[in-house]
Amino acid sequence: MRTPIAALLGAAVLALSACGSGDAGGGSEKVTLTYRLWDEQQKVGYDKVMANFEKANPGIDVKVEVLPWDQYWTKLTADAVAGTAPDVFWMQPTSFPEFVTKGVLADVGGLKLDTAKYHPTVVQTFTYEGKLYGVPKDWGIVGLLYNKDLFKAAGVEMPEKLTWAPDGSGTLLEIARKLTVDQNGKHPGEPGFDKDKIKTYGFASWNHYQTQWMNWVVSNGGKLLDKPFGTYTFNDPAGVQALQFGVDLVNKYNVAPPATQTNPPTGKMTDIFKRGEVAMFPANNALLPFVAPEVAFELGIAPMPEGPAGRAVNLNGLAEVVYAKSKNKDAAMKLAAYLASEEPQKLMADEGYVFPAITSLAQGYVDYWKSKNLDVSPFLEEAKGTTFPLPVTTGFTGFETKMVQIFNDMYLGKLTPQQAADQAVAEGNATVQ
Amino acid sequence: MTGFSRSGLSRSGAARPAPPCGTAVGKEHERARSGGARRFRLGDWHAYLFVAPSLFGVAAFLLLPVLIVFGLSLFDWELLSEPEFVGLANYERLAGDGEAWHSVWVTILYVLLCIPLQTVLALGLAVMLDQRVKGIRFYRALFVIPWMATPIVMGLIWYWIFDPRDGAINRALGLVGITGPDWLSDPTWALPAVALVNVWQHTGYTMLFFLAGLQGIPKELYDAAAVDGATPVQRFFRVTLPLLNPTMFFVSVTSLIGAFQVFDTVFAMTDGGPSGSTEVINFSIFQTAFREFDFGYAATLSLLLFVIILVVTLVQVRFFSKRTTYDLS
Repeated sequence: MRTPIAALLGAAVLALSACGSGDAGGGSEKVTLTYRLWDEQQKVGYDKVMANFEKANPGIDVKVEVLPWDQYWTKLTADAVAGTAPDVFWMQPTSFPEFVTKGVLADVGGLKLDTAKYHPTVVQTFTYEGKLYGVPKDWGIVGLLYNKDLFKAAGVEMPEKLTWAPDGSGTLLEIARKLTVDQNGKHPGEPGFDKDKIKTYGFASWNHYQTQWMNWVVSNGGKLLDKPFGTYTFNDPAGVQALQFGVDLVNKYNVAPPATQTNPPTGKMTDIFKRGEVAMFPANNALLPFVAPEVAFELGIAPMPEGPAGRAVNLNGLAEVVYAKSKNKDAAMKLAAYLASEEPQKLMADEGYVFPAITSLAQGYVDYWKSKNLDVSPFLEEAKGTTFPLPVTTGFTGFETKMVQIFNDMYLGKLTPQQAADQAVAEGNATVQ
Repeated sequence: MTGFSRSGLSRSGAARPAPPCGTAVGKEHERARSGGARRFRLGDWHAYLFVAPSLFGVAAFLLLPVLIVFGLSLFDWELLSEPEFVGLANYERLAGDGEAWHSVWVTILYVLLCIPLQTVLALGLAVMLDQRVKGIRFYRALFVIPWMATPIVMGLIWYWIFDPRDGAINRALGLVGITGPDWLSDPTWALPAVALVNVWQHTGYTMLFFLAGLQGIPKELYDAAAVDGATPVQRFFRVTLPLLNPTMFFVSVTSLIGAFQVFDTVFAMTDGGPSGSTEVINFSIFQTAFREFDFGYAATLSLLLFVIILVVTLVQVRFFSKRTTYDLS
């Protein structure tokens, strides 16, 4: 009896050890990468992208990790300090300077990307000292959403192009006035118009830098920064005139809701537009999935108004960056190279998530939204013209809250545009390193 | 509640021999550093053995972090860069930092808006709920529910209630012909609104302590007071309040500390705005540390808050120790 048991035991031990060595062998070859993003919706798309990547690279597993925006940056910073940041993660323009100057991001020059394929503003955004530190992923752009029902009710056509100028001339103000109606049916400028009892507003002018005043400043010939990684300059005359125009739309011309209703973080401009109480609303195309399905009126999209210096709109590019201290840098670079290629970018465009960074694939996004009865081609049209990134310089993320507070006071009329711009520029430049 | 009277309240020995209503209160006496406390001498290592686990907890999770924060306050550290020793530079900066002192002022205003109202409401509720009525447990639980909710969730819900247009409050005001303010975007109303939410959330919890204190008061005292001809109001001010002194001390210390440290509701409802009108110290600390990544200065601000709370607590200890504590055991 003894012998068979011993034999069985021996066999079992052998089998176990065989298993063990087999596992160890597989584990040493298999690499697991972490890919971190902040957008729950896009995760669905990226799960598919990663499945495709894993199929083509059997030795690499990719763990897709979503962190909500607010936690994303805190956690990322802490991880970078601890040396445990994800291998590949999303990066946005205003956070980029902080991370790239502190050596957290790897130079992706080794991938030998053909940068001409990507939107130039995105490439420019993630370039530091002449080197590219991220794979251009996608971009979002500011366009003019408008309420076609309100236009019809006021008997107004959306013109081929809207124009504005600091002195109040141009078609934007003219049309906004026609669309602004008080409870007695009077428009601003007419005798008996009651600015405290306005029913619908013509235009959404409010303290939102990305879709509002930064666009006024640049389309008036002003500059946000003297150069990338430089200092703020929006308090020059062109900048201040542009800010004045934004404030005038609210407080002087009465064609936009008062700042008390719209100032962040408690203001609700998007809701006011969704309720059908404001006719024109500059917004990033990324907002579409949150607006289009929820409105009871017919939604239109137009290019942003042209200023004295022409049309210049914010184009917000995102990149996928590789952690400089990644333990699996080769695999991470392989993933970055894949993300820069057409296959994943086409998937994300065709399923309507984003405008891809590769310009030739943008039509996929337009077609997706066409199938939802929305013509988003004005966004694409704008992207072919003058575009500018958010201020790419160190310290912006810390400065942002103060800047928003200062401009809140400006829209409330407590600070003049010159005072607000001077204060903000001084505060901002104190944070630039 | 008598546990509290032991912890130094009656140490002053200033117990005045003046019971509120005649001779009814009998066993009042001084308990300063007497009795049991003497059995434990410094050399008795057994005692340390027994307290070792919690002592470790205090050292590791309280003292050590405080020391680390103090150490941090001597550095300029922006997380991603190497920490740089700057001596007292952060403290110099604090002295001239108008925004920091503004946030101290906002915090004090907030505490003043919150604590008196909350304490009076809690005491009133406790007196009302200290009854033998059918279903009283249910009513008591009802008032504690807000305290059980997560402050962030509460903040978000109230954010909608305060909505100037669709919120419940302005809708209700509209029904009686009043145009309510833009609560959270009006610098005048934002802080009171946040304070109101906190009062609403914490009153029930505070009430629990008063309720426990009330139930420790012997009913004979009220009977005796009634026999002596005291009106209900007199009974409240002459019997109930003095006997609630230890509870009052506990409630006052803990709720003031809590109020000075308010953060979640501010974060959820106003994000420090409008125009910095709700930027309490804890919010500035968060802002400095996690948005500006200026950890050295955030540590300095944390120490400022620590010192403020310490001073406020010491003042309360002095205040309450001058008052009589009655031993009801």
